[in-house]
Amino acid sequence: MIDLNTGKENSWCPGCGNFGILNSIKAAITDLVEKGTPKANIAITCGIGCHGKIFDYLKLSGIYGLHGRALATATGIKLANPELTVISFGGDGDSLGEGLEHTLFAAKRNMDITLILHNNGNYGLTTGQFSPLSPLGYRGLSAPGGNIERPFSPISLLLEAGATFAARSYTTNPRHLREVLVAAIEHRGFSFVEVLQPCISYNNTYQYYNERVRIMESTPTDIYEAMRLSRMDNPVWLGTFLQKSDPCYHEQLAGVATPVKDRMDQEQRLQLLKEMF
Amino acid sequence: MTDRPYTVLVGGKAGDGVKKVVQVMAAVFHKRGWHTFQMDDYQSLIKGGHNFSIVSASPEKICNNRHKADLIICFDKKSYDLHREELNPGGCLFYDKHDGDLSGTGIELTRMMKDSYAVPSNVSIGALAIFFAHLGLSEDDLLETIRLSYKRNLEENLSYARKVFPLVTPGESIVDLKTTPLNSILLSGNQAIALGAWAAGLDMYFGYPMTPASSILHYYAAQSQKLGVKAVHAESELAAVNMAIGAIVGGARAAVGSSGGGLALMQEAFSMAGIVEAPLLCFLSSRPGPATGVSTYTAQEDLMFALHQGHGEFSRIVATPDSYERAFSLSAELLCLAWEFQIPAILLTEKHLSECITDLALPLDQIREAVPSLGKDTQDYDRYALTPDGVSPMLFPPSDATIKWNSHEHLPSGLRTDKAADIITMKDKRALKQPGIEEATKRHIRVNTYGSGDKLIFSYGSTTLELREALKLLPPEYKLVSLVYLEPFPSDELAQYRGREAVIVEHSRELPFAAFLREKADIVCLSGISKYDGRSFDPDDLANRIEEAFHD
Repeated sequence: MIDLNTGKENSWCPGCGNFGILNSIKAAITDLVEKGTPKANIAITCGIGCHGKIFDYLKLSGIYGLHGRALATATGIKLANPELTVISFGGDGDSLGEGLEHTLFAAKRNMDITLILHNNGNYGLTTGQFSPLSPLGYRGLSAPGGNIERPFSPISLLLEAGATFAARSYTTNPRHLREVLVAAIEHRGFSFVEVLQPCISYNNTYQYYNERVRIMESTPTDIYEAMRLSRMDNPVWLGTFLQKSDPCYHEQLAGVATPVKDRMDQEQRLQLLKEMF
Repeated sequence: MTDRPYTVLVGGKAGDGVKKVVQVMAAVFHKRGWHTFQMDDYQSLIKGGHNFSIVSASPEKICNNRHKADLIICFDKKSYDLHREELNPGGCLFYDKHDGDLSGTGIELTRMMKDSYAVPSNVSIGALAIFFAHLGLSEDDLLETIRLSYKRNLEENLSYARKVFPLVTPGESIVDLKTTPLNSILLSGNQAIALGAWAAGLDMYFGYPMTPASSILHYYAAQSQKLGVKAVHAESELAAVNMAIGAIVGGARAAVGSSGGGLALMQEAFSMAGIVEAPLLCFLSSRPGPATGVSTYTAQEDLMFALHQGHGEFSRIVATPDSYERAFSLSAELLCLAWEFQIPAILLTEKHLSECITDLALPLDQIREAVPSLGKDTQDYDRYALTPDGVSPMLFPPSDATIKWNSHEHLPSGLRTDKAADIITMKDKRALKQPGIEEATKRHIRVNTYGSGDKLIFSYGSTTLELREALKLLPPEYKLVSLVYLEPFPSDELAQYRGREAVIVEHSRELPFAAFLREKADIVCLSGISKYDGRSFDPDDLANRIEEAFHD
């Protein structure tokens, strides 16, 4: 395993599902580096919430940005230098509440970015309020009588928006999660990985998921089957729901291919202005 | 030949091609050695309503259009009713005879148009024919201009122009047009702003449409192949500005732009630029507010908003161009300063400068390149290394170093911290930049003065354009002081005016600029001249108001 430790003291609750994500992303990055992606070419972004702390625990370059904006900053990095492998971490409140527009548009554009969604079904760091993925009836400080909003079905939502890779895994199955993360990051285009992440303090779903998760034996035959399977609550299917090849946004956007490398120098710019006018 | 600029006004419905035909007229003047200034007055609709465009032209450099015209061409009765009083003595008004028998010169614009076109038709070609004939230019020149300027329906356009042209007799030696073109180009303020930042190294622009800033996005998009620049129309202003900061993390020079409403949405990320130390260039083109306000008109209500953009404490630069040449050079300057100090910078302007079009020579000799101070690509690199001047060397991926940008308060490594001593260290580190920023802005023109009289007038932004044109009508007893840099405030340069009385001119109701000058430089507002109806000043009216202000 590559040493990706930063030495930063970990402040997740003992037993938090985030540890599973941290260990699996380290393993997945080790795999990717062994397969030829230079570690130096990996950039990460995150939003704000329990998920975001992963930024401090990974010795990788990137930006710990604003709540909800992880995919917007990731988009900027990718467009500035498409040669980078860009991975974005988001929470369910972050990516599907505050930042829903960026999530849908990153999928719509088929941005070549991987979004790892830490789905803990609540707002952990702000003390357990209901989130866009909390089930009906979920009780939290902002919904003492129980959540009255129906939750999103994140995989079918992202497939509808245009994601070209969508998968689900579970923090208690590190081998599966590692494989899914490697496949997602290697996929050319927008990859969405929903990670079922129990929140030990506010939404302990270990038993719920342990009783229900099953790994699909094969990828569903089409997008409708993928959506149908992804929406089932028993069993809760794990695995890759869809993977397809479509042009990426950065390949189609006019202008130079790699702005940070192909840029005109000052002399060329002034010369071009003289020629234009 | 008059000593005032020669002014043409064309009025009609949205969709009549009013703006385009006046642009063509401006190019005709410019090609023949005259300076021009074009202002388009339009509403937030696509077809119908009432639009008019004015171009003033002169053998001398012209700073702003006049409002009274020497030649008025009306495509409809509404335009006729609204503008017939705006004719200068000796001027000529042409109207469509279709609207009845009115005073002025009626031409069967609609009837001849129907004879010339199947569909769609183009009444503005009729205006161009009137313009050429009235100015004594040749029919050949008219037809050649149409060939060059209008790509669609060429034969029908030429047929229509040939019908209208002979009906207009030349005015008596109205303008003395030369044949040698000027060594200048016609650009809108937004185009000058876009080109300036690009010249200094801009790689990417992120925007979301909002008048009057949209044309910056449009220009970069249109020029992206030629300039190599990336223009991204994001899903929202929030996305645009966060993308721009991401692009900066990736190593690109990036900018964003909007009007007040859009900048309001960008504020949170503007603060992020403060704490992550991102050199973020923002263009803010104002229109009347608050909120949606008035989409397509001009205002200066966002002065305090620009100065106080974002929450939390951090350094920023706010500056405003008072000429088209300055729009180009200031945009470049601000990108350079942002990168030198890794801070956000705002170029504050208004619809009037953004969208008016004038001729200018790009001051290419004033352009420097925006470059970061680069760190060493080693394992012990710290994104926020403590340095004597507060500026930490930058690195960009791919890199063997771990480069961590963080919107949380952080350690020099970029890892997050909540510790009291660390918070103080990093806040003090960022504050160390301020003296350097203040010194660096002194390299540039921070305050412009025009005239050398005793009577002081203060302004900023496009109001300076209006004032410079107004001052041409007044005796040389005035001195116009025009601020370019607003933050850091050029206290040293303005010290000479401390305690002096001045007339302060601005496009806002509450006179925030006057209050700002009083607070920062102890300049006493003798009288404030404000205009807050969204319209630009008529230099003739403004000249009268200045005289009244000093005589009161």
